[in-house]
Formats: sequence, structure tokens, C-alpha cells
Amino acid sequence: MKSESKIDPKIMEEIIRFNKNIINAPKLVDAPDEIVLEVTPHDVVQEIDKTRLLHYKPLTDKQHKTPLVISYALINRYHILDIQPEKSWVRNLVQQGFDVYMLDWGNPTSMDKYLDFDDYVNGYLDGAIEFIKNESSVEKVSLQGYCTGATLATAYTTLHPESVKNYIATAPVIDGWRDTTVISNLAKNMDVEKMVDIIGNMPPEFMYYCFSVLKPFEQGIEKYVNFFKNIDNKKFVDNFLRVEKWLSDTPPIPGELFKQWIKDIYQDNLLIQNKMYVNNNHIDLKKIDMPIFTQVAVGDHLVSPECSMPLHYAVGSEDKTLRMYPTGHVGMIASSLSQKKVLPELGKWLLERS
Amino acid sequence: MSSKPQALASTGPMRAFAANSKKVSTELIEINESLLEFNKFLTEYYKQLSETWNEAQKKVNLKAPEVPQDVEQIEVFKRIWIDIFDNDFTELFDSKKFGENYGKLVSKELELTKHWNNISNVILQAANLPSKEEIDEVYKELHALKKRITKLEIESKKKKSE
Repeated sequence: MKSESKIDPKIMEEIIRFNKNIINAPKLVDAPDEIVLEVTPHDVVQEIDKTRLLHYKPLTDKQHKTPLVISYALINRYHILDIQPEKSWVRNLVQQGFDVYMLDWGNPTSMDKYLDFDDYVNGYLDGAIEFIKNESSVEKVSLQGYCTGATLATAYTTLHPESVKNYIATAPVIDGWRDTTVISNLAKNMDVEKMVDIIGNMPPEFMYYCFSVLKPFEQGIEKYVNFFKNIDNKKFVDNFLRVEKWLSDTPPIPGELFKQWIKDIYQDNLLIQNKMYVNNNHIDLKKIDMPIFTQVAVGDHLVSPECSMPLHYAVGSEDKTLRMYPTGHVGMIASSLSQKKVLPELGKWLLERS
Repeated sequence: MSSKPQALASTGPMRAFAANSKKVSTELIEINESLLEFNKFLTEYYKQLSETWNEAQKKVNLKAPEVPQDVEQIEVFKRIWIDIFDNDFTELFDSKKFGENYGKLVSKELELTKHWNNISNVILQAANLPSKEEIDEVYKELHALKKRITKLEIESKKKKSE
């Protein structure tokens, strides 16, 4: 006797609809080069080597006196902080009346392989902050560092505390040994000396590999299934493509900088132990004595909360705030939660100290 | 006069290439050795992936033994499949054995690149072009010069303001 197999007609409908969506996708979706990621109007006010200092145009009649400088991460580009008007970190802060600057690290090439921590901290970041101090006639600025940009900003703040009025560390990479992410496992086992010696800069392809092992099935399958399912939803598609474009654009990291970062942070964990040096200058976290706001995402799978939180306890500041948000690494800076909760809290904290 | 053609050849690419051809052979032999090692770690890499896949699939079969019959059941099955696979693979990528093997795999790949670079250098030298090391020296010198200029600029600014 033959058993009769019954297929729910809804399954067939779903399959047909899904295939239709795949076929229609090229007609409905913009090509990546048609998507402009910079949404908030700005001027490029300074260029040093390949770095650019962006100054966002005011959107309010009055602005708070202390400028805010953002030191973005070394991985991917700064666009995620200004990915689209409704989710733009920068735009939100400008709308709250802050005078916002962003440091774009640019796209290093082979000839930049000898750029090191010192060049980034005491060269580019210091150059940008000195420029802003002169331009705005202020003695100090507020500084925000995101991810690896916060590692640089932390080093800067310990070496130049006289220039920093308030420090905001957003998902900072601080305690490499406590980091429980896949990235840290790969970093701890990497022969970084050999890598830099042979290929110079850390190639973007290596970073893409690292991304591919983070939640590989959710990110590698489910994400794209959802994209084709929602191909008619303009807002969803636009947001998806913007983030995808941002994800696929990561510049190389200069070899010497990458070497010190991997060795000092992930392998030897010198920063949190107050044993790190940048060009013979001691990085002592106790020298951070200004107000500090540490922002951590509970679901961060790139920089685990255990890696970021030790900064809060290691600094010398008396005025310190630690906030944990129920989101991920990118969700903290580019989501509706960041607009509704993270940014209003940051704005309030900054306003009280600006 | 008989030495003249030789002198002429001494500036040409073939003589330079011939002089370094032994280097190319040595590099090719070493590439083979590195390739053997590389394959060993690559095999282990795929072994770890396939073992994790099999284990994850077993867990899925235990948790969702029935073949999904409708759209809702397919969604539930997909969620279970993704969650179990993501958990198991993240556990693998987080593990010491994966980290160590992956580190060695990349290290061997870098050695292969180094041999390739060395062979390229022989060809570059034969064509009277700078090798990678020579270009690196230029980059290093440029970097040091830039640092010196910045330092001098800061000192000069300080003196002007005094």
C-alpha cells in the first residue's frame, strides 16, 4: 500500500513567492554604488596623510560649547555612525545641540605599514583635537571612542588628560584576556609578527573571515532569507543594503599598529594591567580622571562586556558611569534602541558636563 | 674583445636570473614542504568543521524528529536548526583546539606567501626592479622622515609662540 504524502499548499505558495522575490530583486534594489552612506551634512576641515576630520553642520540654533570628537574603530568605516537619518548616531547628537567632529582614519595602503599606535594616538588623534581646540577656542573637548577606536582614545586620554573634558567609551576593547568572543580566540592564536613581516598590513579579507565565523548560520543564511522575504519593504531593504555596504568596506589596518594592538591587548593584555607603552610613554589608566561614561552591549559578540567593563573600574575618575544595554555591538550605535535609549542618556550625561 | 659579449650579458636579465636560479629551485622545494604542512592543518580544519556539523545535525534530529508539514512547522524547524548550528559552531570557533589549528594554518599559509615573495624577488632583481624588502626600506624611511618633520613642526610652532 502506498502512503500518500500531503504537502501543505501554503508551503508551495511560500516557495513560489520566495523565488519570485529573488527574480525581482535586481529590479527593486539599488546597486551598492548608488547608495550614499554619508547622510548628515558636514565639511572636511582637516586632512593629515590619509585621515580626514569631519565637522558636522549644526541643526540647532544654539550649540553646547564643548565640541565632541568621535574616534571611530579601525575595522570598517565610520559610516555606521551615520548610516541613515533615522538611525544616525551623529545626527542625533547634532540635533541635541552638540558640535560633533568625526575622525575618518581613511584607507591605508602598503606604504602605511609602519604607522603605529604612536602615529594614531599622538599624531592623527592629537592633531585633530589640537585643531578643534584652536578652531573652537576651547581648552578641552569631549572625546568618544568606539570599539578599537576606544582603545586608541583611551591611550590618548591617559597621555593627554589636559585636553579631554569628558570621555565616552563605547564598547571599548580593553581587557583582551577576559574577552570571550571568537575574534579574541583567533587573535590570541595569531602569529602576528609573521603576518606583518610577510604581508605588511592586516588585509581586509582576514577581517571578512572573522566576520564569517560570527553566528555563521544566522548571518550567513537567515539574514539573506529575510532580505528576500522582505524585498517589497523599501525601508527594510534600504537599511539592509546600507549595513551590507558598510560591512563589505573594511580598510586594511597598518601592520605595526595591528601588531601592537594584537600583542598588547589580546595576547599580553598590557593595557588593563597598566603595562602598555606607546612610543615609550606609559599608558596608565589611573590618569583618566575626568568624567567617564562607559557604554556596553550585553549581546556584543565582537567585544564582549567582560572585555569592556574593566575600564570603568580601572580609571582614576570619581565621576564615572557604566551603562549596559540589551543589544549588540552595532545595535548600540545604529538602531532604534540607540535612538530611543542610548543617545538620550548619553546626551543628558554630556549636557550636564558640557 | 672576447670578454665584451660577456660584459654585455652581465647587465641583462638572463644573467641575473641565471645567477639566482638556484634560489628559485630551493624556494620551490621549500614550498612543497610548507604545502605538506599546510595541508595537514587544512585537513584538521575541515575535520573539525565536519565533526561539528554532524554533531549539530544529530542534535537537530533529536529535537525535531518529525518532518515539518506546514509553513509554521518549517519556521520552527529552521529556528531550531539555526540556533543549534550557531551554538555548536560558535563553541568550536571559541575552542582552544580550533584557535590553535587555525593559527597554525594561517602561519603556514604565510610561509607559502613568503616563498612566493622570494621567487618574485629573484624575477624582480633580474629585471633590475626593487625587491619587496627594498620597497619596505623606502616605506620605513618615509615613515621616519614624516615623524621627524612633525616633530620639527611642533618644535618650530612652540618657538614661534614663545
